[in-house]
Amino acid sequence: MIVQPKSMLRRVGNAMRWVVLILAVTILNLPVITTFLTSFKSTADINAFPPKWIFSPTLDHYREVLITGNTHYPSYIWNSVVIATVGTLLAIALTFPAAYAIARHRTGSTWLLPIVSNLRALPLIIFAIPFYFMYQSLGLLDTRIGLALIACVINIPLALLMLVGFIQDIPRDLDEAASLDGANVWQILRHVIWPASRPILFTVAVLSFIYSWNEFLFGLILSTKNAVPVTVGATFFVTSYGVKWGATAAAMILGILPPLLIGFFAYPYIGKSMLRGAIKG
Amino acid sequence: MSYHASKHKEGMLLLSGLCVFMAFMLGYPAVANIWYSLSNISFSDIHTSEFVGLVNFENQLFSPKMWKAMGFSLQFGLICAALEVVLALLLVFTLHPILSRRPWLTAFLMLPMMVSPALMGVMYRLMLNEFAGVVPLYFEMFGVYVNFLGPENIYTTVIVIEVLQWTPFALLILLAARQAVSPDIEEAANMDGAKPLQLIRFIFLPAMLPAIVIVAFIRFIDSFRVFDHIFVLTGGGPGSKTTSISIYIYKLFFNQNAIGEAVAVSLILLFMSLILFVMAAKLIFRSE
Repeated sequence: MIVQPKSMLRRVGNAMRWVVLILAVTILNLPVITTFLTSFKSTADINAFPPKWIFSPTLDHYREVLITGNTHYPSYIWNSVVIATVGTLLAIALTFPAAYAIARHRTGSTWLLPIVSNLRALPLIIFAIPFYFMYQSLGLLDTRIGLALIACVINIPLALLMLVGFIQDIPRDLDEAASLDGANVWQILRHVIWPASRPILFTVAVLSFIYSWNEFLFGLILSTKNAVPVTVGATFFVTSYGVKWGATAAAMILGILPPLLIGFFAYPYIGKSMLRGAIKG
Repeated sequence: MSYHASKHKEGMLLLSGLCVFMAFMLGYPAVANIWYSLSNISFSDIHTSEFVGLVNFENQLFSPKMWKAMGFSLQFGLICAALEVVLALLLVFTLHPILSRRPWLTAFLMLPMMVSPALMGVMYRLMLNEFAGVVPLYFEMFGVYVNFLGPENIYTTVIVIEVLQWTPFALLILLAARQAVSPDIEEAANMDGAKPLQLIRFIFLPAMLPAIVIVAFIRFIDSFRVFDHIFVLTGGGPGSKTTSISIYIYKLFFNQNAIGEAVAVSLILLFMSLILFVMAAKLIFRSE
């Protein structure tokens, strides 16, 4: 009988926690939720007052953005896909052998690792201006490969830190055994370290892709027409489309969907190493 | 050749790809930056620029506008980092029992981190629009008229947007720190009759302090260099009210064609960042 009020109290407390959770999730994701709803509303429903939460959805705005509107939006999306993919693969190709050298031979662990990891914290705008002129003279201005190289630079610090941390924990016996069997270093990398590193390579690839996709500053400065990524292209809607709320909302959703989906579904796999990478950075 | 020498050579070979790439992508810009900052370079005559000494640095170091932008960034970074840490701590202590039993729910809380800050800015622009945005419409229904994007509120708005997007980051790390506190200590304190607030004050907060310091620092440097969402929301305006140091450099470069001065500010910013790193490294080192 004495226990009764206490367990009541506990139940109320627990219910409050759920209320806080639902409120937090709603408020944090409110812009995504409202933009998502707006993108499926007819123009009449968008202008309705009070705002409608139940309506018959339409795909008109997506059709306009992707097909009928002459917006170049599909090419922006394609640019982002190419930039993010190349930037990610290149970063892994460059950091994987380097991470092995740092983890196993300690080569560069005293100078390269600190330099590269501090790079992450510098304001990116510092590099923007020299990149602009360097790209101008190399003919890389407004090219996808130019932006992919930058995406790679941005991804390298996190990729290197995470790979070094992970490879350090792979038992040395594995590569020593392979080396006794006569494998050279490239074979060890290819047949021993690469397969053992798969989980971290997946995480690095996912995070690099998301960061590259979301990059805005260099896209803004270094592209004008042909290589415009989706983050920059989407802002064109605000100025030139002013009142076309539905189309703008659809464009936003298309622009945020790939990283959002990848991040959400990969979260159970990447969560832990994401934290470790963030803390070490 | 000795064993160690051959290992060293092998290591250098493995590092070479990364080193060449970084030297090319960052070494050249670094050297170029120094030259640009000492010359009168402009878009019209990139190749005929002349050495002008320290004029660019002089102009900018004594420019109130530059210091105003620097001040904005510092203040913005400090306010956002503080708010994010406090909010995240409140959420961690409230939600910990739920989230440690159902970790998958955390995925919903970290969604904002996956959204490009630039697009987040545009979405808030739609949502907060005076005439068609959802939020002002609801405020209106209660008889409250607020123009979130007007000059009187814009400073608060850009801070709230940054805080709402990045509190999840602080939340994730602080939640991990909270979960790392051993349940035995908690139980022992409970047996001694500690109240929940005492537990937080005397057990959890001290145990989580290193994580709190690191999160605050990461969030500060990230907010300090803010560009994306403010740029798409206000372009740094009205006037220079929301001009962060990153936006200030961008404007000097693209709108005012003052390239030498823009680069000079970049180098001042680099210098200040380095000082900050050294200070932070000491702070973190001490707290650990």
